[in-house]
Amino acid sequence: MSPGGFAGNTIYVDLSTGVIEKRPLDLGLAEKFQGGLGLCIRLAHEAISPGRGALSPENPIVLGTGPLVGTHLPATSRLYAVTKLPTSGTVGWCGSGGVNFACMLKNAGFDHVVIRGRAERPVYLEIFNDDMKIRDAGHLWGKGVEETDAILWEKYGRPTGILAIGQAGENLVPFSMAFVEGLATLGRGGFGAVMGSKNLKAVVARGERGIRVADKKRYKEVSRAFLKSMREYPYLKEWQDLGLVKSFPLVPVEQYKAMKKRRVACVSCPVGCKDVVEIPDGEYRGLVKGTSSVINLYTPVIYGFKDYRESIRFMALLDDYGLDMFEFFGIMGFTAELTRRGIIPAQDVDPEIRVDSLASMSAWAEKISLRRGLGDLLAGGFPGILEALGPEAEPFAPSLVKGMHPYAGPGSSLPWDLFGTMELGQVLDPRGPHVGAGGSPTYFAKRPLEVFPKHLRRMGVPEGALGRILQKGEAEDEEGILRVGRLLRYSHRWFAILGSLGVCARAAINRFYSVSACAEMAEAVTGFPTDPETLELRADRSWTLLRIMNLRDGFSRNKQETLPDRWFREDGFKDYATGDPLRPETVEKMIEDYYGEWGWDLETGAPTPETIARLSLEEESKK
Amino acid sequence: MSKSKYDVQVNPDLCTGCLRCGLACSELYTGAFNPLLARIHVKVSGATCEILFTEECNACGVCADNCFFEALTKTRKEAQA
Ligand code: SF4
Ligand code: SF4
Ligand code: SF4
Repeated sequence: MSPGGFAGNTIYVDLSTGVIEKRPLDLGLAEKFQGGLGLCIRLAHEAISPGRGALSPENPIVLGTGPLVGTHLPATSRLYAVTKLPTSGTVGWCGSGGVNFACMLKNAGFDHVVIRGRAERPVYLEIFNDDMKIRDAGHLWGKGVEETDAILWEKYGRPTGILAIGQAGENLVPFSMAFVEGLATLGRGGFGAVMGSKNLKAVVARGERGIRVADKKRYKEVSRAFLKSMREYPYLKEWQDLGLVKSFPLVPVEQYKAMKKRRVACVSCPVGCKDVVEIPDGEYRGLVKGTSSVINLYTPVIYGFKDYRESIRFMALLDDYGLDMFEFFGIMGFTAELTRRGIIPAQDVDPEIRVDSLASMSAWAEKISLRRGLGDLLAGGFPGILEALGPEAEPFAPSLVKGMHPYAGPGSSLPWDLFGTMELGQVLDPRGPHVGAGGSPTYFAKRPLEVFPKHLRRMGVPEGALGRILQKGEAEDEEGILRVGRLLRYSHRWFAILGSLGVCARAAINRFYSVSACAEMAEAVTGFPTDPETLELRADRSWTLLRIMNLRDGFSRNKQETLPDRWFREDGFKDYATGDPLRPETVEKMIEDYYGEWGWDLETGAPTPETIARLSLEEESKK
Repeated sequence: MSKSKYDVQVNPDLCTGCLRCGLACSELYTGAFNPLLARIHVKVSGATCEILFTEECNACGVCADNCFFEALTKTRKEAQA
């Protein structure tokens, strides 16, 4: 049986020389790392030379999809990128619901794209039927994401896949993102700036090839049963209609319903979580905005915007420039504080910074994205501002993790106070604070520990580890203990399993998948012998290799995993299971728990020789 | 569409652009998944959506079986008479 699922080729482009090279996919590596995120990590390990800056031409971008992408298995739509990110300086993953892009890239004939160098002038890449062309992007440079997409769709038609940056990425703002068809992001950490540093405005993909599966009969059985179970899920309609809005009181349901024009789903997704909304009345009546999640459109409300319509108007602008909302608002608050303290002269701050004002925030989004006036300094992000202003400014900066503003926790945009896997993941994910990889049952506050085993088994936590994660209290009525560090190790693995296949990890989808279903699908589609254990092994290998790459670049435990003081103040984080105030020693212990469960050295976080042997990473760990 | 037992109805307002319809149709008739090779073409563009069938479409209804959003539904022809 010939391997299925994969498009079968990787394309390499050097933007400095214009040389394009197509190579057949290395099937040995595809099997060893599964594809998708795993193979992106492996290809990045080969392509990245340690010590090179994120914005240097030598920093490659590795894009990739997964072997299930392009089939009609549910929500097999993902696009991944691995590169060195400018904010953290670490090698990180970026991932997005691929909308149409990932599927179209595969139908153009490629599983992965490796982009190196820097073009002399602005360019975009056109990837069509087994071919890639470097096109002039002079007419797109300086334009926002929305207009860029519109021009490219006008030329190529829909459903062409488009990955594009706005002005913030062009101007190397380290908190800029790239957008997939304006609806999903490859984002936090400065992926937009990495594209900008290459003078790469966009990548478009479309193709007439098709994706074939290795074992049709088995595929039919597996997909039929899985789709049937989704159809019969009693809350499917609720997820389709409301999604996470039902658990976010920030977005009033009636308001949402009144402005919703269309639910949008990535290729193959039976749930959908993206929205196109239209402002129904007021000054911005008729403004149509597509978004990765309607909840994002209300972020400015968290910062004090009084009118949700102004909030949407502002998010349309921020997305168009391609700025990360969490960092933007964090930097605005910090700058206002520095101005009050006289560290930044008030006359330089024009207009006055008011985080609750549309006019003020719009002016600053523009100044930062175009690097005008004081905007140029602020466009350096927290690390850049602190470097320029020196120790005087430091006490007023928020607690940072890997150079970024944590998105969740005390003093953050999402002021959750229970310390679960996502919260700890802000420190332990190599890319820094990001919503993606640390999901687990702790995502929903105060879930009773009794319900955990069911979910943990689904995520592939081995029976032997259940007792290490969920420790019973001594007495009958005593609260159990949840070992968050150990659990996070399996969250990261589960994320790597889904990511390597190309399955969406969002809560709306993840809940339907289990490691055994993934193994059956992987085997039917690719034809590689795959049971849950092999799938887990491949994911362990990939995530550990990401660790190895960062160690190779000098990110040891002390340099990488530092904890913000703000988390441990009186109004700081609380233990997930007991609600007691969180202490730094406890979190240090969690980090050791995490390392231990991975088979990494407790002191340094480096994989032990036994772990390297178990994962057959001997060769990779030498380079 | 006349030989089929079914009529396929469309409601573009409910369409999410998931292309599940085109994936299923292309696999059935070409042996490989690719919405561009399907007999149904869906173009979602912000608030607007267009759903078209090619001349080869035989109204088999498989696309509707794969639509989770009720943008496509199939009905038996006899039932309508
Ligand atoms: S849940 Fe959302 S992000 Fe995930 S595949 Fe569906 S539409 Fe895309
Ligand atoms: S009715 Fe059948 S042939 Fe026509 S588009 Fe749908 S699946 Fe294809
Ligand atoms: S399957 Fe339904 S919702 Fe999805 S693109 Fe086709 S018609 Fe639209």
